[in-house]
Amino acid sequence: MEIIHTDVLVIGGGLAGLRAALAARQRGHEVVVLSLVPAKRSHSAAAQGGMQASLGNSAKGAGDDEDVHFADTVRGSDWGADQEVARMFVHVAPKAVRELAAWGVPWNRVRSGPNDAIIDGRKVSIDEPAAAHGLITARDFGGTRKWRTCYVSDGTGHAMLYVVGDRAVAEGIAVHERMEAVSLIHDGARCHGAIVRRLTDGRLFAYVARATCIATGGFGRIYKVSTNAVINEGIGAAIALDTGVVPLANMEAVQFHPTAIFPAGILVTEGCRGDGGLLRDAAAHRFMPDYEPEKKELASRDVVARRMEAHIRAGHGATSRWGEHLWLDITLLGERHIAGRLREVKEICQHFLGIDPARQWIPVRPAQHYSMGGIRTDALGRAYGLDGLFACGEAACWDLHGFNRLGGNSVAETVVAGMIVGEAIADFCASERGELTVSTALIRAAHDRAAAEFAGLAAGLGAESAAPLLARMQSIMTERVGIVRHGDALQSAVDELQQLILRSRRLGLRSSRPGANPELTAAWRLQKMLKLAQCVAAGALQRTESRGAHYREDYPRRDDAGWLKRTLARWPAADATQPEIGYEALDVRRMELPPGWRGYGARDAIEHPDTAPRQAEIERLRAELAGAGRDALQDALLPFRHRLPPQLRGANARLGDPA
Amino acid sequence: MIRLFRKAPDSGRPRRLTASVLRHNPADPASAPHWQDFVVEEAEGMTLFIALNEIRATQDPSLQFDFVCRAGICGSCAMLIDGRPGLACRTLTRDLGERFTLAPLPFFELIGDLSVNTGKWLRGTAERLRTWVHAAGRPDLDALEERMAPELAEAIYELDRCIECGCCVAGCGTAQMRPDFIGAIGLNKIARFRLDPRDTRSDEDFYELIGDDDGVFGCMSLLGCHDVCPKQLPLQTQIAFLRRRMAALGF
Amino acid sequence: MSSLTEIRDETPPPLTDAAVRAAAPRRNRWPARLDVLQSLSGLFLALFLIAHMGFVSTILISHEAFYAVARFFEAAWLLGKPYPALVSGVVAVVLAVFVLHAWLALRKFPGNLRAYRAFAEHRERLHHGDTSLWWLQLWTGFALFFLTTVHLYGMLTQPALIGPFESADRVWTGNLWPLYLALLFAAEIHGGIGLYRLAVKWGDLAASRARLRRARQAFSAFFIALGLVTLAAYIDLGRAHADRAGERYTPPATTEAR
Ligand SMILES: Cc1cc2nc3c(=O)[nH]c(=O)nc-3n(C[C@H](O)[C@H](O)[C@H](O)COP(=O)(O)OP(=O)(O)OC[C@H]3O[C@@H](n4cnc5c(N)ncnc54)[C@H](O)[C@@H]3O)c2cc1C
Ligand code: HEM
Ligand code: HEM
Ligand code: SF4
Ligand code: F3S
Ligand code: FES
Repeated sequence: MEIIHTDVLVIGGGLAGLRAALAARQRGHEVVVLSLVPAKRSHSAAAQGGMQASLGNSAKGAGDDEDVHFADTVRGSDWGADQEVARMFVHVAPKAVRELAAWGVPWNRVRSGPNDAIIDGRKVSIDEPAAAHGLITARDFGGTRKWRTCYVSDGTGHAMLYVVGDRAVAEGIAVHERMEAVSLIHDGARCHGAIVRRLTDGRLFAYVARATCIATGGFGRIYKVSTNAVINEGIGAAIALDTGVVPLANMEAVQFHPTAIFPAGILVTEGCRGDGGLLRDAAAHRFMPDYEPEKKELASRDVVARRMEAHIRAGHGATSRWGEHLWLDITLLGERHIAGRLREVKEICQHFLGIDPARQWIPVRPAQHYSMGGIRTDALGRAYGLDGLFACGEAACWDLHGFNRLGGNSVAETVVAGMIVGEAIADFCASERGELTVSTALIRAAHDRAAAEFAGLAAGLGAESAAPLLARMQSIMTERVGIVRHGDALQSAVDELQQLILRSRRLGLRSSRPGANPELTAAWRLQKMLKLAQCVAAGALQRTESRGAHYREDYPRRDDAGWLKRTLARWPAADATQPEIGYEALDVRRMELPPGWRGYGARDAIEHPDTAPRQAEIERLRAELAGAGRDALQDALLPFRHRLPPQLRGANARLGDPA
Repeated sequence: MIRLFRKAPDSGRPRRLTASVLRHNPADPASAPHWQDFVVEEAEGMTLFIALNEIRATQDPSLQFDFVCRAGICGSCAMLIDGRPGLACRTLTRDLGERFTLAPLPFFELIGDLSVNTGKWLRGTAERLRTWVHAAGRPDLDALEERMAPELAEAIYELDRCIECGCCVAGCGTAQMRPDFIGAIGLNKIARFRLDPRDTRSDEDFYELIGDDDGVFGCMSLLGCHDVCPKQLPLQTQIAFLRRRMAALGF
Repeated sequence: MSSLTEIRDETPPPLTDAAVRAAAPRRNRWPARLDVLQSLSGLFLALFLIAHMGFVSTILISHEAFYAVARFFEAAWLLGKPYPALVSGVVAVVLAVFVLHAWLALRKFPGNLRAYRAFAEHRERLHHGDTSLWWLQLWTGFALFFLTTVHLYGMLTQPALIGPFESADRVWTGNLWPLYLALLFAAEIHGGIGLYRLAVKWGDLAASRARLRRARQAFSAFFIALGLVTLAAYIDLGRAHADRAGERYTPPATTEAR
């Protein structure tokens, strides 16, 4: 057994992992980052559209600030978000953009004078003020009241990831690539690192660390059609689940993106609609205004995706030989705009569809896109259940997004959470509790258990093979735990997933090969993915309401009285076939923005008894503190600054500020 | 309304494709590089990503290759397709003949079959060329950001679009002869940071990084890089530009 | 070495910008100069070749024309009497540039068999125009190394023996025409590619490359054609003059005393 010691072990080299690693490194701790692939190939690179931060530089963003961003985020989450976290987030997001700007991200800038744009299908000219010339500009994104999404053409995630990845090189952070964390070393109370498998030769290593941070991204690949990368299999979340003590939260909150090209599932950015693209049906009719007269194509993702599915079910889908889909029409944006601002979209259309989006419509249908759920942490990224274990990014349920994430809020989350959680990790390492006290027996036991798992699979003489089981699981998830859900279908999904879990314990391998063995890797991962899928399905089955992306046909109303709570799924034992589901209530009395109408979608929520009293209290506070200034009011409504690292507490400067 | 086939199928039957894959497992002492043929039935809109996964799922579970984004943006899946470096995930089989060859990228360390260790080389290159903005001190996160001309930001992004796929290095004859050559990818990165006003390095500093025959003067303008780059980066222009700047320092 | 240490070795030491800058010795500037010299020497040779084809092909106009050009370089018009050594001087300069160029170019040659093989395989695989052109440049350069040396040696040692009959005799009776034929092709192809390469190496030309490639082909084709006709003229004259080989040419109505 080979042991590698480090202060901080970060599992995951995407934006979240790297940014957290940087924060810990800058505080003087030794950091090792693990990644399945070279860090810059992580799926953060795929984020095309942009990152939300309320800079308010551009004309259409004027008047934006943390308050507006906060309200948009909470509304978007359908009140599922942790409002303290949301406050911390909106406060740090402008700092994150500015830090990235200083590090080299070539954010698009405001060009003073008249700028062409397309709003609501019409060409308009936006006059940008001279004072803002050269500052970071923003584009429109679904679910926001201001143009707030900072972007780098349509390679925002790429540009961000490269800058952060290169910063990690500059800081001398070791990135061990093609390494997969396969289990956590823990004693039921404290996490001591991870057992890690080298994918190039299958060897196991024990990484022993004072603090461990899981930043392994989403788990979209449990679905058949997903915009996620093929490595987004959720193993990081699964190994946390495997501990039996760390819960995964809100796993049923799965976002579907309205515009994935059909049938490949590759995403075309929301920027297409933000810039003025339209959705059309088989009859070329622009149908979104019929359903959402106010926001139209730019209602939040869950709403648009659901409307699209419903429209297809109502028989308005265009048919091709792979099934039904709708059209995304960006021809009205013109060739120049598409070649410049939406070049990646153009390339995707050319390479994967063989069409020119400046002339032809793009076939699209909603696909799995984002996992709001994940490893439950507190506001500082500390995982529930194990001391010394942290999580951030899409893998975590920090709970910024509740039941629906706004476009542009998740790459923002990765860096903001990285900045905050990285500091918390450093604090932990510096504290007494951060001392390394692990016994070698514990390490050996964890190592041997993992070794036995792989040896067992490799020797497996069972009749089942991984590929068909995986395909079956993905179909079940897409068909029965998808955009529109129903109790009966969910029940049958849970039942069949149980069967699949049992069958996956009888896998047999067809090949044996020294060195990397892709078949063994796939078979091992399948067992983990099935558990995640079951958490999603079981959570969805039990949640008898509709909230954000979780939509139940049989319970179409949001039920704040019964369901204003977070789902916590734990895996009770290795031989279980179902998670134990528990709940954690959200405290309305501490909300700055009590539950209400989102501003789009249905207006029929069942009210929580605390909502009205809290609303009254807020109004009272506002009246009382009218002259006391914004900070005092904030502290009375929802204090959050004290939770941030000192260097992130300052007020954010904006263009119009008094000097 | 969409044209998913550039060439209409000749007959009603889909083509039977033969993929000749160069296989080798360096971890296995008994393995020697050899070509192995796999036959797959073509489907509409089939990419090499689909074809290779199908081969692995139904014919040979031990076949090694790398895909991550499968959308042409992460740079993982570069390989030699009929001898030419390219991204497998966005290569449609309809653009290939009935028989085609797949081989791992040369130059990089072979992991197995079609999988090569680009990551290790790229980390080395980043350290060697110090590919990050060199600025003094930490930025003030509360203040307004530094301004930048919109055109300049766009020009920087134009060079920042490199996805580190390694195609340019695999397409470069100089790199094949000189393993220490930094390749177009490295030169493009230097050009990117040189353009960036936030980077305080001078031409003299850049000369320290690329002013020799493993750097810009080693490039023999073979332009394989320029012609195979899947992101169509203006590599010729950038290398020529750097050559002029760096050469000027010699006098 | 255990894989543990391998993994450890991948951990780079923290790189502080200032430390690295201070520690690194300044790199010398010779690579820059040599690169420029390589291009300048190539450019010089290519321009020289263009001019040279101009002189040599005056034989197509008339014997006198060629004679006049040859004598021009001996500078009797300037110095009162011809100095063939001046021609030797010019040859020596060209030779020097030539040697310099060859030496600089040699640095680019595959350094060993492994490199040679790697390039050869790469070229065969890639089917890429500009890569193949370099291969051609390499081989024509290699050929020029020998061919031009022989030619220049002749010119250097017998500068006076340049004239319609003298040259024609050398070409035909002296059996040098096969050498010239090879030299012609090698030099024009190599020079044409070289000029193209100069453009893509230093210029901002990605957009106009196709045009540039056509220009290169036209260049080589024109000068090879001109060279062939000229060589044919020398051969023709050489054969006619074979029985009187060695006889010096005197222009018909010369007023100059020799
Ligand atoms: C197509 C697409 C477009 C998007 N566009 C936007 C957008 O415009 N705006 C926006 O805000 N958000 C967008 N998102 C969402 C956003 O990109 C992601 O949520 C975010 O980048 C996730 O970052 P991360 O660092 O958490 O994870 P990732 O970037 O996915 O990184 C995960 C890392 O973990 C590693 N890893 C995984 N498992 C293991 C393991 N077991 N052991 C070791 N390492 C492991 C991986 O190698 C990788 O390095 C988009 C998402 C997709 C799919
Ligand atoms: C011994 C004889 C010669 C050899 C071995 C030789 C070899 C080469 C080689 C290998 C190159 C490519 C260099 C590179 O890619 O960087 C080159 C470039 C060139 N050669 Fe030659 N050459 C010879 C003679 C000549 C002659 C006689 C001419 C004139 C016509 C010439 C003109 C050029 C030009 C213009 C270039 C381009 C310069 C550059 O790339 O910087 N060469 N030569
Ligand atoms: C200063 C140096 C040179 C002088 C004085 C010179 C002179 C001549 C002369 C007089 C001839 C006519 C044939 C003869 O008399 O033998 C000739 C032919 C030729 N020379 Fe040179 N030469 C010089 C350098 C070169 C160089 C550097 C090259 C090419 C690399 C070259 C290539 C040729 C060729 C190809 C021919 C044959 C032309 C034809 O096809 O008609 N010469 N040269
Ligand atoms: S320059 Fe082009 S070919 Fe080279 S690594 Fe970057 S994207 Fe790939
Ligand atoms: S192919 Fe190689 S030699 Fe130069 S122009 Fe490109 S780096
Ligand atoms: S898999 Fe990402 S570029 Fe091909």
